Amino acid sequence: MSGEMANEIKLISGRSHPDLSDKIAKRLGVEVARTISLNYSNQETSFTVGESVRDEDVFIMQSTATGDVNEGLMELLIMISACRTASARRITAVIPNFPYARQDKKDKSRAPISARLVANMLQTAGANHIVTVDLHASQIQGFFSVPVDNLYAEPSFLRYINENFSPEDCVIVSPDAGGAKRATSIADHLNTAFALIHKERPRPNVVGRMVLVGNVEDKIAILVDDMADTCGTLVKAAAVLKENGAKSVLALVTHGILSGNAIETLNGSVLSALVVTNTVPLGDKVERCPKLRVIDISPTIAEAIRRTHNGESVSYLFTHAPV
Amino acid sequence: MVRNIVVLGGNSHPKLVESVCNALALPACARILTKFSSGESRCEIKDSVRGKDVYIIQTGFGGNGAKLNDHFMDLCIMISACKTGSARRVTAVLPLFPYSRQPDIPYNKAGAPLFKAPTDAGRKDYTFDSVPATPAPNVPKSAGLTNGADITNRLLKASQLNGDGPASPMVNGKPNGESYLANGSNGAASVRAHPGSYTTHDYENLSIVNAFEARPGYKQWVAQAGTLVANLLTCAGADHVITMDLHDPQVQGFFDVPVDNLYGRPLLKQYIQQHIPNYKDAVIISPDAGGAKRATAIADSMGVDFALIHKERRPTKITERQNASMMLVGNVADRVCILIDDIADTGNTITRAAKLLKKEGAAKIYALVTHGVFSGDAINRINASALDKLVVTNSVPQDDHKAKLGHKLVVLDIAPIFAEAIRRVHHGESISVLFNFD
Repeated sequence: MSGEMANEIKLISGRSHPDLSDKIAKRLGVEVARTISLNYSNQETSFTVGESVRDEDVFIMQSTATGDVNEGLMELLIMISACRTASARRITAVIPNFPYARQDKKDKSRAPISARLVANMLQTAGANHIVTVDLHASQIQGFFSVPVDNLYAEPSFLRYINENFSPEDCVIVSPDAGGAKRATSIADHLNTAFALIHKERPRPNVVGRMVLVGNVEDKIAILVDDMADTCGTLVKAAAVLKENGAKSVLALVTHGILSGNAIETLNGSVLSALVVTNTVPLGDKVERCPKLRVIDISPTIAEAIRRTHNGESVSYLFTHAPV
Repeated sequence: MVRNIVVLGGNSHPKLVESVCNALALPACARILTKFSSGESRCEIKDSVRGKDVYIIQTGFGGNGAKLNDHFMDLCIMISACKTGSARRVTAVLPLFPYSRQPDIPYNKAGAPLFKAPTDAGRKDYTFDSVPATPAPNVPKSAGLTNGADITNRLLKASQLNGDGPASPMVNGKPNGESYLANGSNGAASVRAHPGSYTTHDYENLSIVNAFEARPGYKQWVAQAGTLVANLLTCAGADHVITMDLHDPQVQGFFDVPVDNLYGRPLLKQYIQQHIPNYKDAVIISPDAGGAKRATAIADSMGVDFALIHKERRPTKITERQNASMMLVGNVADRVCILIDDIADTGNTITRAAKLLKKEGAAKIYALVTHGVFSGDAINRINASALDKLVVTNSVPQDDHKAKLGHKLVVLDIAPIFAEAIRRVHHGESISVLFNFD
């Protein structure tokens, strides 16, 4: 590859999660491209490009920081559009935590399907390919007419459980019916028992009554979910599990959004640990919450980028986590 | 009362939404528009929009508890919600179009931007015309104005001896000092540019720009988001766009859907005729060449004299490093000056122009600007400037600005224009009459 300059991986990082970009760049053995994103005093976003992307394979890494989702999204769109005008050969948006993934259906009259809007916007801006991790609903892939690689944190979670516990002591618990598939998949791989908590949700960000289906007595209950936002669900679920005789309760969650009072809620809960991946920038939350553990997802993303660039299959990553 | 029409307001300018609704004699559409704690926008439209003609008012201005990009995303989400809610037609009404102005970043001959590290922190001591000089060879830091030594005259003489000084010698030091390139709401240091550099955009955090280096041999450039924003609006589902005084009329061409670009000109003209005594003897001035067309249109229709301020970017003989100076084309001595521009953002352009006009002997200086964004240091700059009156429209919320600028600021109401435009678009009447009423 030494002689040929064109069509190499160009990794461009947005402002939301430079730490993850650096880790990915290190894995790939490339440098993060020289660009800067800034805001003008009138709050418009400016994106300055300091190196050529002509005919290169561009990967734009942008997660969405909690509280600043729209800011990150606009920045990503501007970056994509800038690379397209600069004649990049292919533009892949690497969005570990897909924004608006929960607004994926018209659940009320005149409710927006914002996930679809985001999908359309990304394609309008010029994205040719999307790489993301644990989409809230994999159907979101259908909103795109470009390829979407939905990576899974599951292999990393399996490794974490195997390294820290003996699977026969554990019960995998899904905190809601929607996540049952995700949880059963992990339970099947580990060959452990499975339980489910049924909940009623009267309003967004508010949790109603909960009922446990299954047996967790004298076991380590492991809650599995794709995102932990205000953590109301997780904490209530943990309390229900404890009431039903679980020895200890921990949670494995892909996206640690942890908005609002999540940290305080966690600190005051019966959860012994919340394990998240670093798809979402966590800031000082790790210091503020001793229960928070972080699994590095960058090897999976970096390998997906490498494979995508070289035209190799990505499906290996659905079952294996690179070390 | 207009039937089958729904006016939906964003969070950026509730007052304008209210007055437009009042003018149309209908209530604003009930909606929930907030943020989830994760930062994602939450939008629910309460009233039915099925088969309706929907107008969504959202201006391109960050404020009211959210940022500009939040407001823009809200707009796209509202458009898309109405579309999925079977609205017949969705019109985006953007009194100030976001991202319409392309950044104006100066480059020197080597291709690197003319930025310089912060030298004075958090200054608030703007004075009438002593916007501080930039340190340069042979220029003392406090150039002339505070210690009485008038360096400008000295340099003027020097340039005249050289035989080719600029017509209005805003030379060395003075004009340069006016180029502020920084300071955001974060209270970062107010930063000054290299001599000659001049920008219409302030960065919130300049130190990052200063530390940035492009790859050797590559000339860095700034992405221009105008086309993208146009595409995003149409991709969200906007069938029609109404805006006012686009900075570049070419932006209209970025859209695949009809764009009605209304003019604030009639309002400004009305103000001149009603509130400026002896306006027939005044001079209308464009603060830069780009706005000449806008200003001449007003000057011609009123039969008033016209002058132009020209920003010269050539290197002059005085110093190689200085490559921007301003010169006035036309005569303003002892006359009332009326500056016309479309946007006042950092306030750089109009305050510089006012200073030059004062120097040229203007009796009184008015500035008439359609969009008064006033970001960064603008308020301080304007308070300290030679401007006597600043007239803006309420295309963006002006309450804060009014509180800070007091009687210096006059706000004109554009709600009737937008209400009339909405009414006419809804009924399929021509709106060209709005371009030219007196």
